[in-house]
Amino acid sequence: MTYLNAVISQNFTSPELPAAVRAALGKPLRRAAPLTQLAVVGALACVPAERRKWPTVLLWQTMSGPRGETLNLLEEVCNGPAEPMPYDFLATQPAIAAAQLKPFFPGLQSASCWPLADASAGNWSPLLSLADYWLNAGRYAQVLCAQLEHTGENACGHWLALGITPLENSLARLQLSDLRSESAVPDSPDFPLLLSRWLAERGASSLQLQSATGDHLAVEFAQP
Amino acid sequence: MSRPVYITRRALLCAAGNSPSAVSTALWAAECTPGQRRLGEREFPYFSMQLPESGWLARAEQAIRSLAAQLGSLKEKTPLFVASSSFQMGQFEAAGAPFELPAACAHFSRQLADWLGLSGPCYSLSTACTSGFSALDAARSLIAASQIDEAVVLGIELANNSTLAGFAAMELLSPSTTRPFDVRRDGLVLGEAVAAVHLSAKPATWRIAGLRTGLDAYSTTGPDPDGGPIAALTVDCLQEAQIAAGEIELVKLQAAGSPGTDLAEANALRRVFRQRMPPLLSLKPYLGHTLGASGIAELVALLACLDAEQIPATAGFAESDPEIALKPTVVRSNTYIERALLNLIGFGGGLASLIVERRQ
Repeated sequence: MTYLNAVISQNFTSPELPAAVRAALGKPLRRAAPLTQLAVVGALACVPAERRKWPTVLLWQTMSGPRGETLNLLEEVCNGPAEPMPYDFLATQPAIAAAQLKPFFPGLQSASCWPLADASAGNWSPLLSLADYWLNAGRYAQVLCAQLEHTGENACGHWLALGITPLENSLARLQLSDLRSESAVPDSPDFPLLLSRWLAERGASSLQLQSATGDHLAVEFAQP
Repeated sequence: MSRPVYITRRALLCAAGNSPSAVSTALWAAECTPGQRRLGEREFPYFSMQLPESGWLARAEQAIRSLAAQLGSLKEKTPLFVASSSFQMGQFEAAGAPFELPAACAHFSRQLADWLGLSGPCYSLSTACTSGFSALDAARSLIAASQIDEAVVLGIELANNSTLAGFAAMELLSPSTTRPFDVRRDGLVLGEAVAAVHLSAKPATWRIAGLRTGLDAYSTTGPDPDGGPIAALTVDCLQEAQIAAGEIELVKLQAAGSPGTDLAEANALRRVFRQRMPPLLSLKPYLGHTLGASGIAELVALLACLDAEQIPATAGFAESDPEIALKPTVVRSNTYIERALLNLIGFGGGLASLIVERRQ
């Protein structure tokens, strides 16, 4: 069985983000792109210090990707007078975020970035399906699923922390199931909001997230 | 519940050839001369695909349609997993300023799906050089979990100046050639490739016996020289495959000719295999380092060699580095291989190990 242990959403203006990082770490994170900063403040907010040594994988999706950094690099490469600065190139590589998070989250064993192909669709269903499979196979003790976005002046992160061990304050149980409800929600960027609403209202006994990979499959959340 | 996952079909275009069998033939013949790619005042060796089209988008389409033909008929709704570190960067460069990036950063994956004739779920993974195995791991895990029955995993890395300039700025590129594990190794030679595997729960010759991804946070540009995190990941992968290190008959190295990464990989291999080192093979002197495509491209190239029972020699190696104290295989062989380990050591701290096993 998989347990949902935290759901958080964070929103920052661009100037607020470095301050949030400094508050979380007690020091600034040098040469870190906004998506990396979001990864750090979100992961540390989701998981208390005593559980940061547990074997963990981070699966994060993004629609914006490193957009500003990519535009900057293209400008340097296509119109600039010289080769780009190394850190401008590094900032376009989302994989860097995990390496910069790991010193503060020693249990982080692996991470993957899932850039989104559609503005209206999410990848919550495959990320949660992988989380459930890997947790129950004993590969990790906890899985962080996230969506991180940075556009212009705004940065936001939506996080779901899942574990194989029930905590005193676990929010819900999660399992892969057959799709039975016509009210199953589609996989979209709004899913964390819908999940938070269901958790707050405690109306229906379960919430199903429709799988994009199979018409008959769903990720089902139920009261713990 | 978990079920085995098999590699049922393969496709590949790279500098060494335009099909898996053409690539294995070229590797057996030790054909590995890179071309050149100009970047401002500098020129670098570079492994380009052999395609008649010259426009970036036209080349991409031609390459993917050729892959589709190699894969054969696919169910339209087959899930697609795309692995890349640069996606359509070259197209942005070709179009020029003002640069118009799509709202969804991996929008190009939908175009790739269209060219492949797929209209089902489309996922993208970008973990730099380990992207291919990250995508493979996601796809095979969903098959193993019975969430899907089959998938296409596509690795794509096409020429662009942004990537070349980034690696050049970090002084990571060789001015001459790829020399894996060699004392004179002086950096990477980049290349382009598109490659795909079709995975299924239906039995086929090659099974994914183990696959693990990991993270080495020693630095954002290179692994711990001690090799500890790489070795730990390989041991995890062996445990998943439920085989002993001594049962591995061939290692496809990361070995791109990078001074630091080659050393870290060698130290890791010594920790895992100790005195019983299997034959070591690097494919990068033939294909170049194809970054986000390298995992799938080198997997397909290796399996083509194993099927043909023609294991190539590692080109570019001449003199041992006393610090590395390991030699890649320099003599080609016709050995029948049942189990092979493939390593990826990525930029940004990504690691991945894959074990493939021939079905008895």
